[in-house]
Amino acid sequence: MEGLGDMKPVIVVHGGAGRIFKDREEGSRSGVTRAALKGYNILKQGGSALDAVEEAVTLMEDDPHFNAGCGSVLNEKGEVEMDAIIMDGKNLASGAVSAVKCIANPIKLARLVMEKTEHMLLTDHGAQLFAKAKGVPEIPGEKLITERSRERWSKNLEADSNPQEFKKDPGTVGAVAIDSEGNVACATSTGGLTNKLVGRVGDSACIGCGGYADNHIGATSTTGHGESMMKVVLARLILYHMEQGMSPEEAADTALDYMKTRVNGLGGVIVVSNSGDWAARFSTKQMSWASVKDDQLQCGIYTGEIQTRSVAEALGSK
Amino acid sequence: MGTKPVLVVHGGAWAIPDDLAERSILGVKNAVTNGFAVLEMGGSSMKAVEVAVQTLEDDTVFDAGHGAVLNADGYVELDAIIMNGKTLAAGAVSCIKNISNPVTFACSVLEKTPHVMLTGTGANQFAEKLGIPQVPVEELVTEHAKAEWEQYRKYKHTVKSLFNTELVHDTVGAVAIDYEGNVACATSTGGITNKMVGRVGDTPLIGSGGYADNLVGAVSATGHGESIMKVTLARLILFHMEQGKTPEEAANSALHYMEKRVHGRGGVIVVSRTGEWTARFTTKRMAWASIKEGVLLYGLNTGETIQEIINPPK
Repeated sequence: MEGLGDMKPVIVVHGGAGRIFKDREEGSRSGVTRAALKGYNILKQGGSALDAVEEAVTLMEDDPHFNAGCGSVLNEKGEVEMDAIIMDGKNLASGAVSAVKCIANPIKLARLVMEKTEHMLLTDHGAQLFAKAKGVPEIPGEKLITERSRERWSKNLEADSNPQEFKKDPGTVGAVAIDSEGNVACATSTGGLTNKLVGRVGDSACIGCGGYADNHIGATSTTGHGESMMKVVLARLILYHMEQGMSPEEAADTALDYMKTRVNGLGGVIVVSNSGDWAARFSTKQMSWASVKDDQLQCGIYTGEIQTRSVAEALGSK
Repeated sequence: MGTKPVLVVHGGAWAIPDDLAERSILGVKNAVTNGFAVLEMGGSSMKAVEVAVQTLEDDTVFDAGHGAVLNADGYVELDAIIMNGKTLAAGAVSCIKNISNPVTFACSVLEKTPHVMLTGTGANQFAEKLGIPQVPVEELVTEHAKAEWEQYRKYKHTVKSLFNTELVHDTVGAVAIDYEGNVACATSTGGITNKMVGRVGDTPLIGSGGYADNLVGAVSATGHGESIMKVTLARLILFHMEQGKTPEEAANSALHYMEKRVHGRGGVIVVSRTGEWTARFTTKRMAWASIKEGVLLYGLNTGETIQEIINPPK
């Protein structure tokens, strides 16, 4: 187990805060659980927090239950446009993409931006060119579209649709982790808002809004109403509260409460501190999340709900 | 009408060569005068920062709007943000082409969409829908920018080497507080010469290139974009002010942190909710100007502040 340090690894993932329909609960629950176990396995073998969050998010991008990668919601024109960010708490390096189409895993492209360019955010056509240059396979846009997202899209085009309704749809998947070396990282990926304008960029691609990671404090990934999270720079705000001495849970609750009172926005966050304390909090009705620490797997969807199993038990039941 | 209005503008933090020094100073003085006229007549800080930044965008000496630099393919791609400290509402555009006043377009995103940021082709399509005129690229590109681009192409300088020599134009911006005590910020840029197609820097990112909050103050940032993003510079300065630091202390400590933690240099202008302001930078030069209580101040070199009385006290 090369590179194994003293820190106990922790991973927390979320599959979006919002309204999760009954028939989607089971799929969401098992999706976040699988992602958390996958990330934790990487950490246990001495892998980096960066690899763990990337792999966990990739798995959720590939899972059609979530609004990211395959299963993304559609913009006003019926296309999938995705945003993603990844950040390394060790050196504050980060990579992000916005409004990218026709690739399976935006989070992997974000990692390439971080490692293979001198920039941090590539957008639209330029991001597409970069993907091509790096040999990232282009897939037909159709492959990312599920029957369900197409249905919701056309429903929202109807004259009597309620635009406030689709604000409640869960957005975004994300992960935060700390590895055995004590490095923290975050990753966030999303298809954004249903029926958004073409070219709309939400919080997920914006550093400090959709995610932030700093070894001196911790890491956080956010989900919810993108524009509200941008207005309060939510991820950075939570870490700021932690710098002032709050626990991850207090910091998350304080920031979510502030977002609600100041800009009338709801959302959810996952947080890990540089000492391995963590929290999964939300002001929406639901948020699917899962965490693993000390070989204990926890997950939940409703406020106050925590299911606990050992990792061995969870792997056995798979 | 409890607050005395203040406007501060900058024309980018970098190693401004001597032959551009005089025009840069004239440019920021012109912009601060135009923007302050709005405040004086009881206009909002939002309108004032928009007018000031428009003036800077229209001035070819600055890398924003007219005078923007060229990306790796020889095109101009522009980023801008504007933010209202009263509501925290913001509008931003990234990677847009052929629009002469990105800051005004950012304002339209704020006012006419439920979104904060639009990017690339989608943003340009929206501009078309609004009837914002698209200008030919040639109109935005100066001979200077073209020559500079060709030079960089020829010698294949990496972006990094450009930063090391600080030969990077970057960004214009403004912060203001109006009679009502509302603060606002606006930032606009053409980015880095020979940048990758689609590169978005700090400018349109809320909390990095700018942030405004009536409870604290407003900031506009300039300098090495990627470093500014890493430390979310604008929001960081306001965090420091929330902790009781003055704008000057907050700006200095955040710029110092950025240099130490991620080896990046830059400059900022800040106004607090009580009308205290500052213009600080760690690059060689930054053209800036401010007006408060009938006094225009401006500077270019570290530690330099030159005063002009524009309205003799009655």
